Amino acid sequence: MITRRSMLALLAATVAPFRAHAAFTGSEALDDANLPDVAERLPVNPRVVNLGAKSMKPGRHGGVIRMLVGGQRDIRLMPINSYARLVGYDEHLNLQADILESFVAEDDRVFTFKLREGHKWSDGSPFTTEDFRYSWEDVMNNKKLHRGGIPVDLRVNGKGPRFELIDQWTVRYSWDEPNPEFLALLAAPSPLLIMMPSAYLKQFHPRYQSEEELAKLMKKYKAEEWGDLHKKMSRTVRPENPDLPTLDPWYNSTEPPSGQFVFKRNPYYHRVDENGLQLPYIDKVLLNVSSPDIIAAKAGSGESDLQFANVDFVDYTFLKASEKRFPVKVGLWKRTQGSRVALIPNLNCKDEVWQKLFRDVRVRRALSLAIDREEINKAVFFGLAHEAGNSILPDSPLFKPEYEKAWANYDIDQANRLLDEAGLTKRDEDGLRLLPDGRPAKVIIESAGESTFESDVLELITDHWSKIGFALFTRVSQREIFRKRVMGGETIMGIWMGIDNGVPTAEMSPKELAPTADDQLQWPVWGLHYLSGGGDGHPPDLPEAIQLLDLMKEWKTAGTHAEREAIWHSMLEIFTQSVFTIGIINQALAPIIHSSRLQNIPEKGLFGYDPTSYLGVYMPDTFWYAEDHV
Amino acid sequence: MIRYILWRILVMIPTLILISMLVFAIIELPPGDYFESYVAEMRAIGESADMQEIEELRARYGFDQPLPIRYLRWVGGMLVGDFGYSFEYRLPVSDVVGDRLWLTILVSVVTIIVTWLLAFPIGIYSATHQYSWGDYGLTLLGLIGLAVPNFVLALILMYLANIWFGTSIGHLMDQKYLNQPMSWDKAMSILEHLWIPVIIIGTAGTAGMVRRLRANLLDELRKQYVMTARAKGLHPFKVLTKYPLRMSLNFFIADIGSILPQIISGAEITAVVLSLETTGPMLIKALQTQDMYLAGSFLMFLAVLTVIGVLVSDIALALFDPRIRLYGGRTR
Repeated sequence: MITRRSMLALLAATVAPFRAHAAFTGSEALDDANLPDVAERLPVNPRVVNLGAKSMKPGRHGGVIRMLVGGQRDIRLMPINSYARLVGYDEHLNLQADILESFVAEDDRVFTFKLREGHKWSDGSPFTTEDFRYSWEDVMNNKKLHRGGIPVDLRVNGKGPRFELIDQWTVRYSWDEPNPEFLALLAAPSPLLIMMPSAYLKQFHPRYQSEEELAKLMKKYKAEEWGDLHKKMSRTVRPENPDLPTLDPWYNSTEPPSGQFVFKRNPYYHRVDENGLQLPYIDKVLLNVSSPDIIAAKAGSGESDLQFANVDFVDYTFLKASEKRFPVKVGLWKRTQGSRVALIPNLNCKDEVWQKLFRDVRVRRALSLAIDREEINKAVFFGLAHEAGNSILPDSPLFKPEYEKAWANYDIDQANRLLDEAGLTKRDEDGLRLLPDGRPAKVIIESAGESTFESDVLELITDHWSKIGFALFTRVSQREIFRKRVMGGETIMGIWMGIDNGVPTAEMSPKELAPTADDQLQWPVWGLHYLSGGGDGHPPDLPEAIQLLDLMKEWKTAGTHAEREAIWHSMLEIFTQSVFTIGIINQALAPIIHSSRLQNIPEKGLFGYDPTSYLGVYMPDTFWYAEDHV
Repeated sequence: MIRYILWRILVMIPTLILISMLVFAIIELPPGDYFESYVAEMRAIGESADMQEIEELRARYGFDQPLPIRYLRWVGGMLVGDFGYSFEYRLPVSDVVGDRLWLTILVSVVTIIVTWLLAFPIGIYSATHQYSWGDYGLTLLGLIGLAVPNFVLALILMYLANIWFGTSIGHLMDQKYLNQPMSWDKAMSILEHLWIPVIIIGTAGTAGMVRRLRANLLDELRKQYVMTARAKGLHPFKVLTKYPLRMSLNFFIADIGSILPQIISGAEITAVVLSLETTGPMLIKALQTQDMYLAGSFLMFLAVLTVIGVLVSDIALALFDPRIRLYGGRTR
């Protein structure tokens, strides 16, 4: 059966033969590196990125990008930004084959992947299905390396896939039941790893290496067991091993610890532009480690060519001013969170009176209606953000205005009426409503105490809520303690962010809308129950929450796009109508500062981790310098 | 004398054991551990951490075991030179500290030398010209140096250096020289950046030293033997250096105890503001993220240096000051 997705993939495959046959050009920086000719370095059928068609300009090789990072571990940003995936999203969030030449998904159960013939890892070793087999057989199914067996993400109802090698370039994963999340997981910012550079890693695996040699290597790299050694050498999330081959546009050439990490171009990278130039255009990316607090100051004095990490909207005016002094440009991108700032009532709090109140949808709706979002937007975000409940952004194909508008208007009268209906009719002499047990309605909102604007927002809400007879107090704590107190039920309400992925498509999992994780501050105990497979926590006992969870499970086994879309819409409907989280502002802006000579960076974009992988979907490998760069 | 030294060295052992217990208790006090703060941090920026790997690390480093056993493992490791593993850097602690140590020592030694070079002449001048305009002026300057918080000074100097001289903000060298072998250009770049931290860290120290030297020297200068020497027509400089200056240096020798750990980890706040590649910011970061072995082992290292420093200054005092050597024991 041919589904929409396999159709797309087939389409992609027919377009692919538009080959830049003529002549491929490699970067001059590699000319004296003793490498084979560029045509031999590229796969037989490289991925041609038609920049003209994307209204971007094809460029030229050369140049160095300097970036500042807040700590050594932030080299993890490189694989996220590089965004070379088996399948990946484009800037409109359509899935397409990237490292793969093509893929076919039958009923979301059987996935057949076709590799590019002649594709090579960054060390020149061939990238074939052997790398998938190694990852599957020798790593995932090795008790020493994966104590709990194959990763949970690869299981459907506890059962893993059947793995078939069809030929050197074709591999197939099949499940008995649909696994719609599979492709999304491969396209994630931190992707599910189903292939590893086997030619390199086999030296650390006892199946392919003699015991004496392994013992020597363990001694050399200070590992106590071969399992540790293998893990240490194969880490890709933070590419700390300079020898580990990669498929990314740049590979790390610096061994930690270091104050500067040099990422050099991968001579075997599989993408070319329409003129046959092998990507990436940029020869080197330097990550300079600095202290997070002075990164904005350094970026504003021209010490970064591309900076998005550790700069925030509060730095915008300063960064903008530096445009006059340095050849830099500052763009404002839109954050993809469902809410930049949201109040989150804890439905699992220990205080039974508050718990009962918060479980009453009328109270949640009233609290949301009583917030003057416009004032907050103007006072705290210069009016540049967008007033909305915690929902999805217009950039998502699933967007409907009624989701973000649900109970997000400013209506004190209706809020008061709802609270009266909920039984909070009595007031004390100060006009504060009295709770059923006689206490005045004083809400203590806890924050993780990391951003000053949270307290600004709360200050404004204190005013707004006084009109509905609620008093608000802020308790600033520290992130871990904050989360612990929420999970332990000691916090009745917290201030945090909304859903992480505000631009979902129907193919992405809606798990954020249902109680599925213990870090969902509105229902941590229910989330824990799901997360632990029923071993810990409690199952949800609110009808709407149960419904959301059931719908989420249904999505997991839904076989068609239409079904998934329908499930998403019913979940969004329930989630926003029940006001489980009180979103205040979304589409807040994030500054991106870059050298004014750097081309192909969009002025406006979506800024977030999942699904856009920060810069990933905008393809940093296609950025280039217009003039000579020192 | 030798018995005294031996006895002091023996006393160091229980002191260090006590310190190690305290250090361990302090780094264990905050709720949670490194992995929890790591997961929370990842989640705060909307990312996820590999839980499986974290669970394995936890088990591997014995986080599931009771407190006393973890303490013994840590101390036992340190005795054989294994300072533990930094989770933040995913490297053995000794590798993490190694590189930064040299730059820290460079900054501290230069600062200490500059402090001495400034403080001695000023202190002597202030004492010999008490209540003169020069004394008042220098005292005022010194007090300003003491009173202005280092981080404010750091921010101001950093800004001015960037605007006026185009020095890159923060750090000890231009970032293109990081990881490069030492060269003339790199040395120049370090010098170009070094003066800011040296001035900042030096100001408070200089001011303090000037005041102490002045006070001690004034006590001596009023004594009768000085008057006698002066009355006999001795050259004023000789009058000053022969005894009074030497007498007033006791505090200076006693300072050695605190200087030693300072050389290894001085002026954390300034270093954080300036983003220097020294050990100070590393220690603070380690404490924040509960990277317990890195923080613990480093604190322990500083404690050992303090204890050794105090020992050295005690012995030096006894050697250099006959009053302490001859009468010190009797008052006991």
